[in-house]
Amino acid sequence: MQSIKPDRTLDCIGLYCPVPVFKTRETMDELKAGEILEVLADDPAAEEDIKRWAKRTGNELLELKKEGRIIRFLIRKNR
Amino acid sequence: MGKEIEKGKRKRILYVQTSGIDTPERLYSPFVLAMTAKAMDLDATIYFLGKGITVVKKGEAEKIKLGNFPSLKEIMDQAIKTGVELMVCEQSTQLIALQRGDFIPEAKIVGAATLNDLALEVDASMWF
Repeated sequence: MQSIKPDRTLDCIGLYCPVPVFKTRETMDELKAGEILEVLADDPAAEEDIKRWAKRTGNELLELKKEGRIIRFLIRKNR
Repeated sequence: MGKEIEKGKRKRILYVQTSGIDTPERLYSPFVLAMTAKAMDLDATIYFLGKGITVVKKGEAEKIKLGNFPSLKEIMDQAIKTGVELMVCEQSTQLIALQRGDFIPEAKIVGAATLNDLALEVDASMWF
Protein backbone atom coordinates (compact mmCIF):
# COMPACT_ATOMS: atom_id res chain seq x y z
CA MET A 1 0.00 0.00 0.00
CA GLN A 2 1.35 3.39 -0.98
CA SER A 3 2.11 5.61 1.96
CA ILE A 4 0.26 8.90 1.92
CA LYS A 5 2.40 12.01 1.84
CA PRO A 6 1.04 14.82 4.00
CA ASP A 7 1.02 18.45 2.89
CA ARG A 8 1.84 19.60 6.40
CA THR A 9 3.04 18.08 9.64
CA LEU A 10 2.00 19.28 13.07
CA ASP A 11 4.16 18.06 15.92
CA CYS A 12 2.25 17.97 19.21
CA ILE A 13 4.65 15.73 21.06
CA GLY A 14 4.91 16.82 24.69
CA LEU A 15 1.63 18.72 24.48
CA TYR A 16 -1.40 17.69 26.50
CA CYS A 17 -5.15 18.03 26.13
CA PRO A 18 -6.66 20.31 24.96
CA VAL A 19 -3.66 21.74 23.10
CA PRO A 20 -3.32 19.03 20.40
CA VAL A 21 -6.94 19.52 19.36
CA PHE A 22 -6.61 23.32 19.35
CA LYS A 23 -3.42 23.22 17.29
CA THR A 24 -4.93 20.71 14.90
CA ARG A 25 -7.88 23.03 14.41
CA GLU A 26 -5.64 26.10 13.87
CA THR A 27 -3.37 24.31 11.44
CA MET A 28 -6.24 22.75 9.54
CA ASP A 29 -7.75 26.21 9.07
CA GLU A 30 -4.60 27.16 7.17
CA LEU A 31 -4.84 24.25 4.75
CA LYS A 32 -6.81 24.12 1.52
CA ALA A 33 -9.60 21.62 0.93
CA GLY A 34 -8.17 18.27 -0.10
CA GLU A 35 -4.84 18.83 1.61
CA ILE A 36 -3.57 16.33 4.14
CA LEU A 37 -2.35 17.14 7.63
CA GLU A 38 -0.13 14.83 9.61
CA VAL A 39 -0.39 15.18 13.39
CA LEU A 40 2.03 13.60 15.83
CA ALA A 41 1.09 13.34 19.49
CA ASP A 42 2.19 11.39 22.55
CA ASP A 43 -0.67 12.35 24.87
CA PRO A 44 -2.73 9.14 25.06
CA ALA A 45 -5.89 11.26 25.25
CA ALA A 46 -5.18 12.53 21.73
CA GLU A 47 -6.14 9.21 20.15
CA GLU A 48 -9.84 9.46 20.93
CA ASP A 49 -9.93 13.26 20.95
CA ILE A 50 -8.52 13.83 17.50
CA LYS A 51 -10.56 10.96 16.02
CA ARG A 52 -13.72 12.55 17.39
CA TRP A 53 -12.65 16.06 16.41
CA ALA A 54 -12.19 14.95 12.81
CA LYS A 55 -15.59 13.28 12.78
CA ARG A 56 -17.35 16.33 14.22
CA THR A 57 -15.69 18.81 11.88
CA GLY A 58 -16.23 16.74 8.75
CA ASN A 59 -12.55 16.11 8.12
CA GLU A 60 -11.48 12.64 7.12
CA LEU A 61 -9.19 10.55 9.26
CA LEU A 62 -7.24 8.60 6.66
CA GLU A 63 -4.90 6.85 9.03
CA LEU A 64 -4.13 6.41 12.70
CA LYS A 65 -0.91 4.60 13.57
CA LYS A 66 0.79 4.05 16.88
CA GLU A 67 4.59 3.80 16.90
CA GLY A 68 5.45 3.17 20.54
CA ARG A 69 4.23 6.20 22.46
CA ILE A 70 3.74 8.30 19.40
CA ILE A 71 0.38 8.45 17.67
CA ARG A 72 0.42 9.51 14.04
CA PHE A 73 -2.73 10.83 12.39
CA LEU A 74 -3.30 11.61 8.74
CA ILE A 75 -6.30 13.84 8.23
CA ARG A 76 -7.66 15.18 4.97
CA LYS A 77 -9.36 18.54 4.95
CA ASN A 78 -12.69 17.97 3.29
CA ARG A 79 -13.95 21.50 2.92
CA MET B 1 -26.76 17.35 10.30
CA GLY B 2 -29.08 15.16 12.33
CA LYS B 3 -28.27 12.08 14.32
CA GLU B 4 -29.05 9.02 12.24
CA ILE B 5 -31.09 6.52 14.16
CA GLU B 6 -30.46 3.07 12.83
CA LYS B 7 -33.22 0.60 13.37
CA GLY B 8 -32.49 -1.44 16.48
CA LYS B 9 -29.53 0.72 17.56
CA ARG B 10 -28.83 0.41 21.26
CA LYS B 11 -29.30 3.49 23.38
CA ARG B 12 -26.38 4.70 25.43
CA ILE B 13 -26.11 6.55 28.71
CA LEU B 14 -23.10 8.63 29.74
CA TYR B 15 -22.33 8.98 33.45
CA VAL B 16 -19.86 11.71 34.35
CA GLN B 17 -18.16 11.34 37.71
CA THR B 18 -16.60 14.52 39.10
CA SER B 19 -16.69 13.46 42.76
CA GLY B 20 -13.70 11.75 44.30
CA ILE B 21 -12.64 9.44 47.09
CA ASP B 22 -13.18 12.14 49.70
CA THR B 23 -16.96 11.78 49.17
CA PRO B 24 -17.35 8.00 49.04
CA GLU B 25 -21.16 8.09 49.22
CA ARG B 26 -21.18 9.65 45.73
CA LEU B 27 -19.15 6.92 44.11
CA TYR B 28 -21.30 3.79 43.97
CA SER B 29 -24.22 5.17 41.97
CA PRO B 30 -22.63 5.50 38.52
CA PHE B 31 -21.31 1.93 38.65
CA VAL B 32 -24.63 0.51 39.84
CA LEU B 33 -26.59 2.51 37.28
CA ALA B 34 -24.20 1.58 34.49
CA MET B 35 -24.31 -2.15 35.15
CA THR B 36 -28.08 -1.93 35.40
CA ALA B 37 -28.14 -0.16 32.06
CA LYS B 38 -26.24 -3.08 30.55
CA ALA B 39 -28.84 -5.45 31.98
CA MET B 40 -31.46 -3.29 30.27
CA ASP B 41 -29.77 -3.75 26.88
CA LEU B 42 -28.38 -0.25 27.01
CA ASP B 43 -24.75 0.76 26.57
CA ALA B 44 -23.01 2.67 29.35
CA THR B 45 -19.91 4.82 29.59
CA ILE B 46 -18.53 6.37 32.77
CA TYR B 47 -16.22 9.36 32.29
CA PHE B 48 -14.05 10.34 35.26
CA LEU B 49 -13.12 14.00 35.49
CA GLY B 50 -11.69 16.43 38.05
CA LYS B 51 -11.67 14.79 41.48
CA GLY B 52 -13.46 11.81 39.94
CA ILE B 53 -10.18 10.49 38.55
CA THR B 54 -9.18 9.39 42.08
CA VAL B 55 -11.80 6.63 41.81
CA VAL B 56 -9.91 4.92 39.00
CA LYS B 57 -6.42 5.40 40.40
CA LYS B 58 -4.85 2.02 41.07
CA GLY B 59 -5.45 0.86 44.61
CA GLU B 60 -8.04 3.47 45.59
CA ALA B 61 -11.38 1.72 45.04
CA GLU B 62 -10.27 -1.13 47.30
CA LYS B 63 -10.19 1.27 50.26
CA ILE B 64 -13.85 2.23 50.00
CA LYS B 65 -16.69 0.20 51.47
CA LEU B 66 -19.97 1.65 52.63
CA GLY B 67 -22.87 0.10 54.52
CA ASN B 68 -23.78 -3.38 53.36
CA PHE B 69 -22.39 -2.84 49.89
CA PRO B 70 -19.34 -4.71 48.69
CA SER B 71 -16.17 -2.65 48.29
CA LEU B 72 -16.17 -0.04 45.54
CA LYS B 73 -13.55 -2.15 43.77
CA GLU B 74 -15.91 -5.14 43.62
CA ILE B 75 -18.72 -3.02 42.25
CA MET B 76 -16.37 -1.45 39.72
CA ASP B 77 -15.11 -4.87 38.60
CA GLN B 78 -18.68 -6.10 38.27
CA ALA B 79 -19.51 -3.12 36.08
CA ILE B 80 -16.45 -3.72 33.92
CA LYS B 81 -17.43 -7.34 33.51
CA THR B 82 -20.84 -6.37 32.17
CA GLY B 83 -19.17 -4.27 29.49
CA VAL B 84 -19.38 -0.79 31.00
CA GLU B 85 -16.83 1.46 29.32
CA LEU B 86 -14.59 3.57 31.58
CA MET B 87 -12.84 6.73 30.47
CA VAL B 88 -10.54 9.01 32.41
CA CYS B 89 -9.39 12.56 31.88
CA GLU B 90 -5.71 12.22 32.68
CA GLN B 91 -5.18 15.94 32.39
CA SER B 92 -7.19 16.34 35.60
CA THR B 93 -4.11 15.07 37.44
CA GLN B 94 -2.63 18.50 36.76
CA LEU B 95 -5.59 20.16 38.43
CA ILE B 96 -5.45 18.25 41.69
CA ALA B 97 -1.69 17.74 41.95
CA LEU B 98 -1.52 14.03 41.23
CA GLN B 99 0.97 12.12 39.15
CA ARG B 100 0.09 11.04 35.63
CA GLY B 101 -0.50 7.45 34.77
CA ASP B 102 -1.27 4.91 37.46
CA PHE B 103 -4.90 4.39 36.46
CA ILE B 104 -6.53 1.01 36.22
CA PRO B 105 -5.88 -0.45 32.76
CA GLU B 106 -9.60 -0.69 31.96
CA ALA B 107 -9.95 3.11 31.99
CA LYS B 108 -9.17 4.59 28.60
CA ILE B 109 -7.31 7.89 28.71
CA VAL B 110 -9.21 10.56 26.85
CA GLY B 111 -9.60 14.33 26.79
CA ALA B 112 -11.92 17.27 26.37
CA ALA B 113 -12.93 16.68 22.77
CA THR B 114 -14.05 13.18 23.68
CA LEU B 115 -16.35 14.36 26.47
CA ASN B 116 -17.93 16.96 24.21
CA ASP B 117 -18.40 14.41 21.49
CA LEU B 118 -19.85 11.85 23.87
CA ALA B 119 -22.28 14.35 25.37
CA LEU B 120 -23.70 14.93 21.89
CA GLU B 121 -23.53 11.29 20.87
CA VAL B 122 -25.31 9.61 23.77
CA ASP B 123 -29.01 9.38 24.46
CA ALA B 124 -28.78 10.63 28.03
CA SER B 125 -26.14 11.83 30.45
CA MET B 126 -26.02 11.90 34.25
CA TRP B 127 -23.60 13.96 36.28
CA PHE B 128 -22.25 13.04 39.68
